[in-house]
Amino acid sequence: MVDAPGMSAGRPAGHSSGSTVEAAIGQAIEHASHWLPAQGPIAVFVHHNTLHALEEHTFSEAARLGLGIFGAQPYFTEGRYRQELKNGRIRASDLEFVLKDDLGQQATVNVLGTKSRYDLRLAMLLSPMRSGPSAELSWLVAETDALRTFRSEVSPANAAGMVEATQRMVMRDYRNPTALEDERTGQVLSSLLKDFGVARIESWSQQDWQSFTLHFMWRLCQRGARVAGKPKPQFVQYQRPRDIAVQAGIGDPDLLTHDLLVRYASAFLDQGFASWPLPDRDAGFYCSFLKLFSVPSTLATGWLQRLESIVAQEASLGLSPRASIQRSLEDAGISANEVDAFIERTLLALPGWGGMMWQMETNAAWSIRPAPPGSLEQFLAVRLLIDRAALAEVAHAVTGNRDSVFEYVKQLRRWQPSTAGDWGVQRAFTLFQVAQLMNWEPAMLAELENQQWQHLTAEVEAFSALERRRVFQLAFEHRYATSALDALIARATEGTSAVVEPKYQVMCCLDDREESFRRHLEEIEPKIETFGAAGFYSVAMYFRGVADAHYIPLCPVVIKPKHYVAETTSLTFLDAERRRAGTRRVIGRASHSVHVGSRGLVGGVVTAVLGSIASIPMVARVLFPWLTARIRTHFGRFVQPPAVTQLHLERQTPEPGQEFEQLGFSLDEMVAIVERLLTDTGLLKFSPLVLVIGHGSSSLNNPHESAYNCGACGGGRGGPNARALAQMANDPRVRSRLKERGLTIPDATVFLGAYHNTCDDNITYLDLDRLTPAQAITFSALRELIDEARQRNAHERVRRFESAPLSLTPREALKHVEARAEDLAQARPEYNHATNAMCMVGRRSRPRGLYLDRRCFLTSYDPTIDDANWTILNRILQAVIPVCAGISLEYYFSCVDPVGYGCGSKLPHNITSLLGVMEGAASDLRPGLSAQMTEIHEPLRLLFVIETQPEAILSIMQRNPNIGTLIRNEWVQVATLDPHSQEMHIYRHGQFEAYRPQSTQLPQVASSIDWYRGWRDHLGFARITG
Amino acid sequence: MDTASLQNFLGLVVIFAPLLLLLLLGLPALFAVKLNEQSVAHLTKLLVSLGLIANLGILGTMLATGTRDIEIEAGQLASITPEHFHFHLKFEFDRLSVPMSLLSYVLCGTIGAFANVYLHRDQGYRRFFILFAMFLLGMVFASLAGTIETLFVGWELVGLSSALLVAYFHDRPAPVRNGLRIWAVYRIADAAFLVAAVALHHLTGEGDFAKLMGQDHWPTGHVELTSNEALFVGSLLLLAAAGKSALVPFSGWLPRAMEGPTPSSAVFYGALSVHLGAFLLLRVSPLLEASFILSAMVVALGLTTALYASWTSSVQTDVKSALAMASLTQVGIIVAEIGLGFHYLALIHIVGHACMRSLQLLRAPTLLRDYRALENAIGSRLDLAPPRVFQGWSSAGQLKAYRFFMERGYLDALLDSMIVHPFRRCFGQFDRWERAWTDWLSGKQSRESETIVPHVEPAEDLV
Repeated sequence: MVDAPGMSAGRPAGHSSGSTVEAAIGQAIEHASHWLPAQGPIAVFVHHNTLHALEEHTFSEAARLGLGIFGAQPYFTEGRYRQELKNGRIRASDLEFVLKDDLGQQATVNVLGTKSRYDLRLAMLLSPMRSGPSAELSWLVAETDALRTFRSEVSPANAAGMVEATQRMVMRDYRNPTALEDERTGQVLSSLLKDFGVARIESWSQQDWQSFTLHFMWRLCQRGARVAGKPKPQFVQYQRPRDIAVQAGIGDPDLLTHDLLVRYASAFLDQGFASWPLPDRDAGFYCSFLKLFSVPSTLATGWLQRLESIVAQEASLGLSPRASIQRSLEDAGISANEVDAFIERTLLALPGWGGMMWQMETNAAWSIRPAPPGSLEQFLAVRLLIDRAALAEVAHAVTGNRDSVFEYVKQLRRWQPSTAGDWGVQRAFTLFQVAQLMNWEPAMLAELENQQWQHLTAEVEAFSALERRRVFQLAFEHRYATSALDALIARATEGTSAVVEPKYQVMCCLDDREESFRRHLEEIEPKIETFGAAGFYSVAMYFRGVADAHYIPLCPVVIKPKHYVAETTSLTFLDAERRRAGTRRVIGRASHSVHVGSRGLVGGVVTAVLGSIASIPMVARVLFPWLTARIRTHFGRFVQPPAVTQLHLERQTPEPGQEFEQLGFSLDEMVAIVERLLTDTGLLKFSPLVLVIGHGSSSLNNPHESAYNCGACGGGRGGPNARALAQMANDPRVRSRLKERGLTIPDATVFLGAYHNTCDDNITYLDLDRLTPAQAITFSALRELIDEARQRNAHERVRRFESAPLSLTPREALKHVEARAEDLAQARPEYNHATNAMCMVGRRSRPRGLYLDRRCFLTSYDPTIDDANWTILNRILQAVIPVCAGISLEYYFSCVDPVGYGCGSKLPHNITSLLGVMEGAASDLRPGLSAQMTEIHEPLRLLFVIETQPEAILSIMQRNPNIGTLIRNEWVQVATLDPHSQEMHIYRHGQFEAYRPQSTQLPQVASSIDWYRGWRDHLGFARITG
Repeated sequence: MDTASLQNFLGLVVIFAPLLLLLLLGLPALFAVKLNEQSVAHLTKLLVSLGLIANLGILGTMLATGTRDIEIEAGQLASITPEHFHFHLKFEFDRLSVPMSLLSYVLCGTIGAFANVYLHRDQGYRRFFILFAMFLLGMVFASLAGTIETLFVGWELVGLSSALLVAYFHDRPAPVRNGLRIWAVYRIADAAFLVAAVALHHLTGEGDFAKLMGQDHWPTGHVELTSNEALFVGSLLLLAAAGKSALVPFSGWLPRAMEGPTPSSAVFYGALSVHLGAFLLLRVSPLLEASFILSAMVVALGLTTALYASWTSSVQTDVKSALAMASLTQVGIIVAEIGLGFHYLALIHIVGHACMRSLQLLRAPTLLRDYRALENAIGSRLDLAPPRVFQGWSSAGQLKAYRFFMERGYLDALLDSMIVHPFRRCFGQFDRWERAWTDWLSGKQSRESETIVPHVEPAEDLV
């Protein structure tokens, strides 16, 4: 434990001039707000880098800093990496390579004897370093054969050598009493000889000598550990008074504070769940709290009474929130130079709610009830008020006096935990293990001066557990990158396989989940050409469906749409729809009354008495989810809007807006959108039918449902975007304008929009009624192929679900995923992006026919039509790199520490305030991804493979600072594939290096199913010859 | 086989299927044999279906033959005749117990099927199903109990499994803390129950419901106790029921019970174990009728709880607490119905409410989607307002009322200051006396263990 800085020297904050302290408080809050989680309301889930605030640091530095700031782990545990080593997901050769690469020039630095730094580190990686609490280690030494036999990694020859050297040394030099008086080793040795029975030394067995050697080594290491001096703690964490109280064992005031604060904050932020909203919410977080809690209530007892008097006093002073914070700081005895650290730690004590407060204040103007500016500051002010009462309550239990809290905390600050100083055994045991592995015989260790021990200890401790895990992670990534690049080179050597005169063209989102779908389509019909683009298809809009109440944005979060598009009923069905809308409203109001009423008094009785009827659908849904869903859909048809609707896509007024005439795009805008998408993807030669598929996902009982939708549609469903694009591209006026600009879409070509539900693999086609009979024939032929691809895609997906037998046929697999989407009990409706590892930007013809295991985002880009400034690539990467890196890094952190960075297990989640999830009835809000979402994920930084020259990437990095930061600081990996050859370059240590393949062999199989069938785990690359 | 022996056989199946399940799941765990998920699921499915079918069979034969009452003797667990001490295991199938045990089987069976999917791959999968079997056994024992001591056995099993299910995620502090709190409240209820049972034995010589209530069938019984005796025993039972059913002033534990896995364990408290107190009152309803004051107390407690819970529910911002409080509202009304003597209505109410609330709890995580669907159907945002009673109040009054319900009526704080703190102070004083005494005896500090600091180092080296 470390003394709080400035304890004795610091002046209480209040005595300096008020305004400077207030400014310092403002800065401290602003600073701390960066550390709060940046996830907004859960219904609009947007993937982003969990450590976005640390992006200006390199990845490994940020990982280390994050550990200090958030206390969350940035890597797997060593044990887990060793498991991967055993499973072959990491190889020893990878460790050797990344270690050499990581050390560079320093690899050869001599440590001791003949061993270099590289030798030392490699040994520490390959052999598990046993560590643990000092009590455990002492037990290990005393009760196991740790001091009788060498570690199993030590070769018999080396072991024998060490024993022999020791034997020789003892017999030669230490059989005379004067030598034993030598203060360094003599004393160690003489007591050891006595323990072993020196009288019979000549008849000691080989076993005795081995034991003696190890004991000797252990005692030398113990001495070495001692003389090397006290270790520096890796993280010096600022201690809030509460932390000190907890460590002193007098209780946890945060339990009291959080219980109240969580309830109040959730009432304040509530987006409409509680039927009785917080009174005076408009007064702001702080004032509303003062109003609510300064009214004395006769029933409040204990600490609540004290809180009331504190609040009443505060209210009578009429302080601003910031002045109140300042008073709380004075009260807790926080000196001016501690303010930053204190406020940071205080806000990070309840990061979820603080973060949501900040998000609702700064980033949620679109929501029903955003938080007014200054809410985070007021949140802190309120928290500190509650803290005052809570700390007093805890101190009261010890001192019996509620008024001397401040004095008491001061006393506590001088308190030191008695466990400090246990480092000796741990360090000695590490040295002991290293000495065995490094073959350092006791004779050599005995000769070491104190300074040499210091050097040696520093060398060993420099490769701490955190460092070892960092290197393991590098090796993990190296394994995947090597196999990926090797496979791509092997594939590229064969040459491209562009489809000449394609029969159909299918465009999907670049999403990794569509990789297998596209691959299966291509396998079924080689004359199909597929494309990948960000799934909003350049149509950035606010959209309202025919049966929807509100507009929702459908575009990446980085874009703020200006255009509104509504779906309307076609005139023919207008009357029918009016009737149905009426019915829907009646049913809606009725079910709302049931929903709210069943929680009330009188309505509750009625619903409850009739409630036994509810058991029928309940039992049916749990036992037969698929069948129940069918029946529900069937009956739902009677109130659904008619299937024939249209998009209000064309605008009459110059300015876009929400009024009826303002809906939609102008002709010029449509032309620009279509042209942009077609040139971006390189779709310039057209087949008779171009199918554009948006995607989304629907699942039940899943608060994170929005996270499974299309990331490029801001967590929405991309069907309307595909439909809008198809309509624009079919418009003859758009086509004639495009023709003027040199882009000819033949009259025979028709675009068709569709929507892919990635959870149940269902595909809905949009605007089919607009097809001519001839086009309809082409369409039905394609539809058959797609139905086949859906089954195969489902089949490839279900191999990852442990609850789906591996023996399912493709047809059964489709039914299995359909049931999954409708199952209330299903915690894993689909695995979402859980397998993402790579992102390709380039022509599909380059990797086509390669089995990528649903692990690769696929973006179409044709380098041959780009200009010398890489304009097209630049605008593609502006969206693709941040979005895909966000997905990859959110999965990375939620996976390596599901509790610290993720939201823990999904099972106890409880939706609160319609904003997020808590664990149980009152906990912090839990942002991030759940353990169920990430359990099969391999946390790898995303490997971008871009079909271009290295210069292009360097230029784009320069033109876009945020992309430059992501690449330079190693948040993503980047490689390039030459557009005209199979040469690849990989970005390492700030520059592109030519990549030399390690293996040119690529397994060949006839079809995807031949490769994946029967396997549950991640699969390697293969060439599908089909 | 004649009808009586068939019914007897079916009755034994109903009672012992969950016991067998508990043994089959629990014993391997004791011997560190790990059953896989599939065998746990199969065993559960098999035995729960078996019990359910037997239960339906009994219902069928009772309806067919018009029998209103079947008793099954399981023998004396202990009997010391001279002291009039006996522990009599006896089960009774009548109009109250058959619907109740059927309800337990249907809901537990559904939850079992649900949890099998929901807890797939979870570390605590087996532990959950062992507790599940214990819970079902407790519910079945309590529902079918023919003597007050048998009911107590079921009551205890339900209590133990509930507390452990709340603390299911035992690697986090909050579930364990809340599980402990619930356990403590249950102990108060258990103590009251136990005293009541002993008193009943003392007053009547036995705890057999059939004899206690005269020879009539439930609910038309008649007790042979004076009104004062009935008031004494009844008040104790009411206290027990209040603890188990989270009636005022014990209501604070119910939202805390929402720490277990959604929604499976939530269903147990929201739907089943929270009704157990009401069921107890229903079982001893003839006792309530013997004392007007007692009935009035039951009605008053029920109505207070109902009003309290419904208003508290309206300020809750998270779906599980809101549902817990909504559940409590209905339990309060059910208790009032029992006090007013509407026994069949109360029973129908229990069954209906348990089913409906289970469905709501099961789909609680779909809340966001449901709200969106509702808004879309209605075409606008949903409107909010304080409960009607408070709408006429001044804003200061509303503020005060809002705070009262946001603090959940200060009930937990009240229990803390009225029971927990005095209790702790009292035993703290004993502890100090004992320490002083032992220190004096040993002539030095006598408790070495108190100075040892607990380990705070992590198990694996991470930095």
